[in-house]
Amino acid sequence: MAVKTYAQAVNEAIREEMRRDKHVVLFGEDVAKHGGIFQATKGLLEEFGGARVKDTPIAEAAIVGTAIGAAATGLRPIAEIMYGDFLLVAYHEVFHMAAKWRFMHGDEFKIPMVIRSAQGSAFGAACEHSNCVEPLFIHSPGLTIISPTNAYDVKGLLKSAIRSNNPVLFLEHKQFYKTKMEVPDEEYLIPIGVAETKREGKDCTVVAVGLMVGRALEAADILSREGIEVEVIDPRTIAPMDYNAIYNSVAKTHRLVVAEESNLTGGLGAEISARVMENAFFELDAPVGRVAGLDVPIPYNVELEVQVVPSVEKIVAAVKTACNK
Amino acid sequence: MMNYDPSLLKKLYRNYLALREAEKLMVEIYYTGKVPGHIHSGEGEEATMAAVLELMREGDYFSGHHRVLASTYLTGVPFRQIFAEIMGKRTGTARGVSGCNHTCDLSKGGLGTSSSLGCDTGVAVGAAYTCKLRGDGSLAIKEYGDATSSRGPVHEGMVLAASWELPVLFVSTNNTFGISGDSRELLPTKHPTADRAQGYGMPSEVAQGNDILEIYEKAKKLMDYIRETGKPAVLETMNYRWRGHFEGDLCAYRDEKEAEAAMKSDGLAKFEKELLAKKIMTKKEVEAMKKEIAEELADAVKFGEESPAPTMDDVHTMMLAEEN
Repeated sequence: MAVKTYAQAVNEAIREEMRRDKHVVLFGEDVAKHGGIFQATKGLLEEFGGARVKDTPIAEAAIVGTAIGAAATGLRPIAEIMYGDFLLVAYHEVFHMAAKWRFMHGDEFKIPMVIRSAQGSAFGAACEHSNCVEPLFIHSPGLTIISPTNAYDVKGLLKSAIRSNNPVLFLEHKQFYKTKMEVPDEEYLIPIGVAETKREGKDCTVVAVGLMVGRALEAADILSREGIEVEVIDPRTIAPMDYNAIYNSVAKTHRLVVAEESNLTGGLGAEISARVMENAFFELDAPVGRVAGLDVPIPYNVELEVQVVPSVEKIVAAVKTACNK
Repeated sequence: MMNYDPSLLKKLYRNYLALREAEKLMVEIYYTGKVPGHIHSGEGEEATMAAVLELMREGDYFSGHHRVLASTYLTGVPFRQIFAEIMGKRTGTARGVSGCNHTCDLSKGGLGTSSSLGCDTGVAVGAAYTCKLRGDGSLAIKEYGDATSSRGPVHEGMVLAASWELPVLFVSTNNTFGISGDSRELLPTKHPTADRAQGYGMPSEVAQGNDILEIYEKAKKLMDYIRETGKPAVLETMNYRWRGHFEGDLCAYRDEKEAEAAMKSDGLAKFEKELLAKKIMTKKEVEAMKKEIAEELADAVKFGEESPAPTMDDVHTMMLAEEN
């Protein structure tokens, strides 16, 4: 066991899987010679060579398309799209093609590919480099979406994603890359589609995604001092969402707040609260609360940016509202 | 023509004829209500794939276009499966859940097609990457049209193929029109795909779209180059769309005299006449071939009609591959 950064954990996951399976290949903008804009792919070119680790021109639609074609013909590509926002340049290729190519062409097709992308606010990255894109992609049936929130999870989940026989959109948060925690040296996998309860509590469930997991845990500390025990659930996999974990928690706490960084309208909170209403309505003692990014473009000025992205205080307030306190 | 092996000429004729008859039949069954979706007829444009796919080898890949849907027949997909797919039946190539642009078989090199035309360019590029890693001289063929050649992902795919030096043959079947838009007016150069090839550092050839031997020779030259160097190349075939963009399109936007002239210079009729004149085929052989293809096609439609429809179970099971 050693303390590793999130970026190192990503690197180890790819390295181990490339050693394990020669069909795993890696490509994207600046991933080879430069080792990735966040240094997550550093040293992979040197170990695996230029045939398997490749820089691409700035051509996101072709990067994703190429991954689909490579996956269909027997490779296991890991394609990097530098920023989550740039996924929109290849929206069709991800939303319709990667997710539905098998459906559209017959079940002899398997599309085992991972699209890695760095997303989220990062202090001054501004309007087109700061967005969390999960809500834009959960609407595409066939796509697995994973948003790991710490170094341990990112390694175990990325290895599972690479071994999956289906397309995975793997969203890494920019603010996580330098965060550290203990990560085992021996191999481990974390299953796709399984949420983790990061903190147990009896009074209110907070389903937190991405950056909000840490903020929800901070909020839980504050609320605990005021006598409110919060249960924090990190879905880890956004699609398919582990709804049973959420329903079970709501059955215990009878209150729910969803916290996400992406903006409110049409967000994950809308979907999760609708599901809970449909499937666990009579467990609820209060309306589901939503804490989300404001419905505005993300501003460049950092003092404004931090007002747009949900804070610990907003989560605290939403839990108090749910608990009628 | 005399330099060709007669068996190759017969094969090319059969390819051309089979695609023509299939195209005609698709329109026919569309008007008798057997096709739930739309048919974009490729009648008159069959020579390109009839020639290019004759040069496809085992291990090669092919991503087709939305016209001349039966092209995948030349990769070895039976008419039965192709027609069943177009008719929305469970015995189709994609269990009838996807329709006319999805008549491929991966085991025969078929990569599939995106109905957002051209967005699939990268898919062929990715298959070519697999070919390159295998190092066996195999290649990928991506077919699209003059109008599609303007779409961004086509260019991105060409850039990536050129940058990585991947074995892709980009084939543009230029039929002059994108729905109602006349490519001669809308696009900046006469050969919108071939003229741009230079910008990507690729060699290119232009052939008459109704001259199967010219197409065959130019495709062979480019495919030999691709297999030898591992690098991409472009073939553009110049043609004229005979029918509307879709069935029911009245083509009010086009010059009917020009359309008539195009149909009169039918490459298939001309090729047949030459084969007979040069005694490469006898009238009897031609008739026997026509009969055989007609029977194969009639059987395919019957098979489609008698086949069951897909169910919601198919929809669900086709979404995701099983995990290990």
